[in-house]
Amino acid sequence: MDFPINPPIGERVRRKETQRFVTGTGRFVDDLLPPGTLHASFTRSPCAHARINSVDASAALTMPGVRAVFTGKDIADRIKPMRVGGSPLLRPLKLYPLAVDKIRYFGEPVAVVVADNRYLAEDAVEAIAIDYEPLPAVIDPEAALEPGATPVHDVLGGNKVYKFHFATDGIDEIFAKADVVVKERIRSHRITACPIEPRAYLAHYSPDEDSLTMWSATANPHSLRGRIADVINFPEGKIRVIAPDVGGSFGVKIQTYQEELLLPFISRELGRPIKWCETRVEHMRNGRHGRDQIHYIEMALKKDGTILGLRDRIIADMGSTYTVDHSIMASALYMTGVYQIQNYAVDATGVSTNKTTHGSLRGIGKADAAYVIERLVDIAARKLNIDPIDIRMKNFIPAESFPYRNVTGALYDSGQYHLCLKRTAEIAGYEKLKQEQAELRKKGICRGIGVALVMEPTSSSRIHATGGYASCRMRIDPSGAATVFSSMGEQGQGHETTIAQIVASQTGIPFEKITVIHGDTLPTPYGFGTGSSRSSVVLMPSAWVAAKKMREKLVGIGARLIGVPPERLEIGDGKVFAKEKRDQAIAIAEIIRTAYGAIHLLPENMEPGLETMGTFVNPNIDYAPDDKGRMNTFSSYPYAGVIAVVDVDVETGFINIVRYCTVHDCGNMINPQIVDTQQQGSIMQGIGAALYEELRYDEEGRLLSSTFMDYRLPCVEEVPELALEHIVTPNPFTPLGAKGAGETGMLGPPPALCNAVEDALAPLGVKIRETPLTPDRILDLIEKAKSSHG
Amino acid sequence: MANISLTVNGETRSGEAESRTLLVHFLRDTLRLTGTHVGCVVGRCGACTVMWNGAPVKSCMVFAVQTDGDEVVTVEGLARDKRLHPLQEAFWKKDAVECGYCTPGMLMSAYGLLSNGKTPTEAEIKKAISGNLCRCTGYGNIVAAIREAAGNFK
Repeated sequence: MDFPINPPIGERVRRKETQRFVTGTGRFVDDLLPPGTLHASFTRSPCAHARINSVDASAALTMPGVRAVFTGKDIADRIKPMRVGGSPLLRPLKLYPLAVDKIRYFGEPVAVVVADNRYLAEDAVEAIAIDYEPLPAVIDPEAALEPGATPVHDVLGGNKVYKFHFATDGIDEIFAKADVVVKERIRSHRITACPIEPRAYLAHYSPDEDSLTMWSATANPHSLRGRIADVINFPEGKIRVIAPDVGGSFGVKIQTYQEELLLPFISRELGRPIKWCETRVEHMRNGRHGRDQIHYIEMALKKDGTILGLRDRIIADMGSTYTVDHSIMASALYMTGVYQIQNYAVDATGVSTNKTTHGSLRGIGKADAAYVIERLVDIAARKLNIDPIDIRMKNFIPAESFPYRNVTGALYDSGQYHLCLKRTAEIAGYEKLKQEQAELRKKGICRGIGVALVMEPTSSSRIHATGGYASCRMRIDPSGAATVFSSMGEQGQGHETTIAQIVASQTGIPFEKITVIHGDTLPTPYGFGTGSSRSSVVLMPSAWVAAKKMREKLVGIGARLIGVPPERLEIGDGKVFAKEKRDQAIAIAEIIRTAYGAIHLLPENMEPGLETMGTFVNPNIDYAPDDKGRMNTFSSYPYAGVIAVVDVDVETGFINIVRYCTVHDCGNMINPQIVDTQQQGSIMQGIGAALYEELRYDEEGRLLSSTFMDYRLPCVEEVPELALEHIVTPNPFTPLGAKGAGETGMLGPPPALCNAVEDALAPLGVKIRETPLTPDRILDLIEKAKSSHG
Repeated sequence: MANISLTVNGETRSGEAESRTLLVHFLRDTLRLTGTHVGCVVGRCGACTVMWNGAPVKSCMVFAVQTDGDEVVTVEGLARDKRLHPLQEAFWKKDAVECGYCTPGMLMSAYGLLSNGKTPTEAEIKKAISGNLCRCTGYGNIVAAIREAAGNFK
């Protein structure tokens, strides 16, 4: 592979898209208001599990401005059920966008009101009378698996909805013979992504044209188009999905939602544009949730810290109407992390409960795996009295072993884990930190140092969720400006800038003259959504392929016009010129004029015009498991070393992050500024997950954290001193050498901060197995440790 | 329903508002100034921050009728004669923006801070935007941008 990072690739170019955001002229779904738009509002279940005896909308229908009300029963025989499952390992379900006869989670939509404005629609929602017959709520995923537990889905009989097993030969013997076995129950708690823009949809069916335009705050427009076509039974070719500016996703907007399928149906019924913008409370209750896995994990080691084997039993809370198995699958396949562990067994069970649907969230599944393994290695180090850096160095996959085939068949593209952690220790001043810690302890200050090296499999691809390719089509206009049509939309990633950097680098068209169009299914080539950090792994290479083809065309025409063979030509300064004799040159403007107007001068067999299509297929994916069940579902493997320093106040339970040091390797960076900013945001999201954020349910299945008051995102006051560096190990499987860059940051804080806090409180004997590390939890742990030692 | 009239970004604007209509909805839906965003409608995320009579306020926490006769500045009012305000320039230069949804609120909170003409301390900058949530950038570049716009920072 070649890694042509010619400028402006690799430069900290200012983002094109920023200008419209600072002037308030960005266009989000809620900003759109076609004439005649009606507004939807949903009645949502006030309980977690119940039968619906009746829904009475008669009073609502008489209220001012109300145009229609739809219930589950109204739609069930008029639309097709939503596609649920996708993975052959998930048990299929038949579900509709509105609950028909049974409620399965708190906040599930039961009926929808359509009215002249959002206030009137919300008024009428209050007037819908629903008779529920409550059922016992299934909340604890372990209890849900007990015999006799109430089934969430009657048709399934029980709550076990997913099963995955993998084991290497002789694993039990390895554990029997090991010097030491470290065994723990570790849970990753339930959180959600919380983009600041909630979900928003606007469906506009035009009776005159018999066509549907759907504006959606989605990260997956092309897939959504097919799903709408399926559910409302309308030709895909007559549907146009547009994702305009989208205010963040972090995974939560890549999936398809009930409301997103229902609005097109209603618009078609009423022949009017229908808009719905989610409230924050609705988002917390109905947007996809993530994490929430319990691991019973054990590690076999030699006394010197060499890891011999790993055995895990995973119980994953999938929520009520599970949609994907990526979370549990990724955890099961990547539990061995960055270590040379070739003896491994895993038994993974997915459980249905009366909670909100589980799905994509920045670091899905991989974050749980990184958290659990990085905690367990630390716990083992403490038990064996080995330094947490030393035990990692002893077991890391060495740089010379890449590409490295892990035990479950994943092929890690590249990495320098030893170098990365060494550098992290250097920038953190690790040895000095340990001395300071000892000094501070004498003064009664509980300082902790937490180490982690987290690896993030990125750019996933599975059969029927095929993210393993992406496309860009490009055109140089007769005027000399270029337009690129990208198969993937953006929600803050800066594609308009990075794609333009790549195209400018290859074609010589100035960066300022390149426009990138994305998120609209009409002009853009088909492709899977923006998630799994796949933009830099498949989309950017596809732009490079399109631009390379364009370059070849420009050079080919130039060669013909000046009579120099193409291999001796170069592009630069708005010209195509001979490498050895720069005055043998022709302006690109002249080449463009020739391509469109003087086509008799084009090389033989060359098509007129300047349009190219680039598709990149990542070669590092296995679409089917081998005979031992091994597979590689992710194509690139960025990672980051972390050393976090914390002070814990034992009086208040408050954790102060003194410093957070990280060294990140995402391969070549197309725009290091964009990577840096994204890393900082990703780290803060991880800090939120570790310290503040948790979706808590009461025993009756009501979500207790439905607003930003009780689900606390980190604000500016919580930003710690941050030291961020990169090392670069190019990805050998893509032409740009880039790996995914969006998620690794978020993986670091949960293990690093837990390790640091446990280290800080080690003299008290505190053990951390539950998160987030809120002050009340810390105080509780200190109290428990005191009483058990007391 | 009442007809209200207020000065928005230096122009007199009027429209119908119910007594319960929030200022943010009046600005967005009635005046069609959609730069001011809605993220939570309960005063926590700050995406809807505007200047009301010279001070930043979350416009989801104000009824439109309360602003009758008053002066409001939104993000659309920052740039003058197609020239970006120094805060907008600094946000762009320092890469303080990713998805752009929180940006107008951040800018208006920062504008409120800087409009007294004093050079703020780092702590004052943080306090000024502590009611504005950003999920993308991790805040560091936003603080740097406000510092840059404020001129020489001690």
